[in-house]
Amino acid sequence: MAQVGLARQRLARVVPTLVLVVAAVFFIAPLLSMARFALQNVQVFQLGTSNLFKNWSFSEVTRAFHEPAFGSTLLLSLRLALGTVLLTLGLLIPTALLVHVKLPKARAAVEFFTLLPYMVPPIALVAGVIGFIRPNARWFVSSNYSLIPFYVVLALPFTYRSIDAGIRAIDVRTLIDASRSLGAGWGTTLRRALLPNLRSAIISSSFLTATVVLGEFTMAQVLLKRTFPQFLAEFGRKEARGGIALALLTLVATTALLGLLTLLTRRKGATGRRGGLAETLTAGPITVPSERA
Amino acid sequence: MIELIGEDRTATGAVPPARRSWAWLGLVPFFLFLLLFLVLPALGVINRGLHTTSGSYSLEPLGQAFSKERKAFLNSIRISLLTAALGAVLGTLLAYAAATARRPKWLRSLVTSFSGVAANLGGVVLAFAFVSLLGAQGLGTRILKEAGWDLYAHGFKLNQFKGFSPGVSTAYLYFQIPLMVLVTLPAIDGLKQSWREAASNLGGSTFTYWRRVGLPVLAPSMLGGFLLLFANSFSAFATAYALSNQANLVPVKISFYLQGDNSSGKSPMPYALATWMILIMMVSMAGYLVLRKRAERWLR
Amino acid sequence: MTALSFHGVRKTFGPTVALYGLDLDIKDGEMITLLGPSGCGKTTALRIAAGFEFADSGIVEVGGADISGTPAHRRNMGMVFQSYSLFPNLSVAQNIDFGLRTRKIDKPQRQKRVNEMLDLVQLGEFAGRYPHQLSGGQQQRVALARALAPQPQLLLLDEPLSALDAKVRATLREEIKRIQTELGITTLFVTHDQDEALAISDRIGVMSSGRLEQLGTPTEVYRRPSTAFVARFVGSMNELRGAVTGDSVDVLSYRIPVPAAAQHATGTPVLLLVRPEDFELVTEPDQGLSGTVTGVTFQGATTIVGVRLDVLDQLVNVETRAGADPVIGSRVAVAVDGTRGVCEPAHVVVAAVSTTAA
Repeated sequence: MAQVGLARQRLARVVPTLVLVVAAVFFIAPLLSMARFALQNVQVFQLGTSNLFKNWSFSEVTRAFHEPAFGSTLLLSLRLALGTVLLTLGLLIPTALLVHVKLPKARAAVEFFTLLPYMVPPIALVAGVIGFIRPNARWFVSSNYSLIPFYVVLALPFTYRSIDAGIRAIDVRTLIDASRSLGAGWGTTLRRALLPNLRSAIISSSFLTATVVLGEFTMAQVLLKRTFPQFLAEFGRKEARGGIALALLTLVATTALLGLLTLLTRRKGATGRRGGLAETLTAGPITVPSERA
Repeated sequence: MIELIGEDRTATGAVPPARRSWAWLGLVPFFLFLLLFLVLPALGVINRGLHTTSGSYSLEPLGQAFSKERKAFLNSIRISLLTAALGAVLGTLLAYAAATARRPKWLRSLVTSFSGVAANLGGVVLAFAFVSLLGAQGLGTRILKEAGWDLYAHGFKLNQFKGFSPGVSTAYLYFQIPLMVLVTLPAIDGLKQSWREAASNLGGSTFTYWRRVGLPVLAPSMLGGFLLLFANSFSAFATAYALSNQANLVPVKISFYLQGDNSSGKSPMPYALATWMILIMMVSMAGYLVLRKRAERWLR
Repeated sequence: MTALSFHGVRKTFGPTVALYGLDLDIKDGEMITLLGPSGCGKTTALRIAAGFEFADSGIVEVGGADISGTPAHRRNMGMVFQSYSLFPNLSVAQNIDFGLRTRKIDKPQRQKRVNEMLDLVQLGEFAGRYPHQLSGGQQQRVALARALAPQPQLLLLDEPLSALDAKVRATLREEIKRIQTELGITTLFVTHDQDEALAISDRIGVMSSGRLEQLGTPTEVYRRPSTAFVARFVGSMNELRGAVTGDSVDVLSYRIPVPAAAQHATGTPVLLLVRPEDFELVTEPDQGLSGTVTGVTFQGATTIVGVRLDVLDQLVNVETRAGADPVIGSRVAVAVDGTRGVCEPAHVVVAAVSTTAA
């Protein structure tokens, strides 16, 4: 008799398993077909059982490297990423520390402002750049590096959250008091006591910022800046297979970097983990925006 | 004892009043920065969106923008409604399946990590991935054809913007579903096993449990997630643009008018469209935040 | 008449055996407690009765009918959980109404029943509140009302008091007992707290490692524990090493008459288990075992005096009612009343010297 009940309990697990399998197919299929398109030189309509394992090579992946714009756009994007990371950290760490240590009353206001970028998506922000900033400061917008402050804004909701979570996890007050009572000045306190403890939060917010910048397409496209994503789109229109191969490479590189940084931020003990990458991606007042690219 | 606490507080360095009054100056860079690079540009957009060509304030440009780009609005709204609804339902199902799966221990963290990546995978890379899958030369297109379902014979096109734009919508689901997984997972973790047991103990079937307890508890999170997904899809630019730079969607139209505006800069059109965009974002994001608060009340 | 019975119910979770063939009959209107440490199988037994788990083999009967395969929602049992588990989206009244609605009772009757239940648990004015607006104790009373509203054949209580603080726990314990007696509903109660079990039950089943060690009234379980495990788990116990002589146990030269000793052959080395209240401090040194006071714990009506006996250095607790408490370090003599003592062959226990309290 009890077997009936046991069987029914097992049956209840069928639906979730089915959901997981269907989801796996949906999410893996585009990646697989992208990989085949990039690595196998056989037209889709000719593909059959006989040539399924023929003509695989990495030659398409390296094709983009010979494009003259490849190096310059990648370099620009890397520079933009570096600039955005530095400006983000320089702006947010003092602000977040100040809010925690001296101005807890300002917390709600600061948090509200860090969520504002959600209300102004990149396409609206770039309209503001063209319609408001360019008429007043043409010299500024004409520089490639004028993208940096806007990229800081786009990444703000989750970079701030990451740093905020990191600060919340360590007892900032006690650290400051301990350091100051040992005779350290503010500079030393920041450098020797606070920043090392915020390592994990700094790494993950830097990484998040960098991925946003290296994937951002909207503003660069509308402002006609030759960044890497802009090059990728243009190259793909010209060379379908080469573009897909480069997209695959970009994806693999980003994922590898993500994996590496997840390990980096996880290695430290329980205290270092708050504000880590996994947490920033999965929890908190609001989740990661997609299509910020 | 009371004296001790008092002493302790000054000893651990609460700031002397004289210096505290200057501390707010430290926030000036942050707010000045946001004012310059976010608030003023956004206000500038709204300001220009509310000016007619002759220079007078009016709601007219908003109405004109809507009627002139009615098709783009309809396409954007349809795609956003469809992918937000499907994304909300499928994302919740996937999150539920991942949260309740016991067997491979790594399954749950795989799903959350992957969702973190995929939710951010909008843009050029995603567009190319779907071209290679569902384009005219796509692997998926070929496989479906072999299975007897010839997409392109039935008028399907990946970069077609008509009706619910099935090609674009499918591509959008690739980041919409993972985003929903990230949004609802905490709510699903908050569903207690004992609620389910209590419901069946009181004579309720699985269906009764979901209708009267499970879904009502998840509802604020799901509805909030729906709004977030709607906003996300409505403002999405890169994926659609990479699939077709002629895409008839509001964000792509804004970029089109902006590039036309490079010379003269008189037409309120792109700014009126962008004002619509900001308004829609504000309404849906505010709804999302309110519903999130509501959901948190139960999930302690 | 038997309300609920387990016949040879066996349950395993992977390699661990949760229940080794449980046999238990619960009489109509009786309140039975399954008592034991965590992992002893008591909760598994309850969950099998409720239909949340299904046995690998064996039969569960309610009123003589086999329900082993019946799904939980067709079993007509009321259950109260440790974690309250009120539905957070429903008000107090709607929570209580839940089981009535699933039974398709018409509205006026349901309304009436909900009000009765609210009165029963004395929460009439809280009908419109939501669970997160109530204290833990109030939530658990609502849970009790919710479980009882559909007039179930059986009430199942799964550690309902464990999450509450001490004071609320005591009040609610009395309230559960009052309601159970008032309604005369057959109840299976699961707890790891021996005080709760002793206070509330008609009979107690003490469980250990998936087996039922003893089933009896609270007095029986406390006064005549059938195994050393029960003796140690229910109430606190002193352990004395000695040897059997007829119907007595000799602790060196001190002879303690112990009826239970007669089961063992003369000369068997045993551990004699005797409760602290069966020990007494005496004035004449030759009337007991001599020792040194090591601790004095005032407990209100009684005082627990810890004594290190000279014999074999054994540590015992003595419960006294005397007004004058001894001073730590002073020399005393302890008399032992072995009438209710339990003997355990000593070779079973490795290196048992000190006392046990639970």
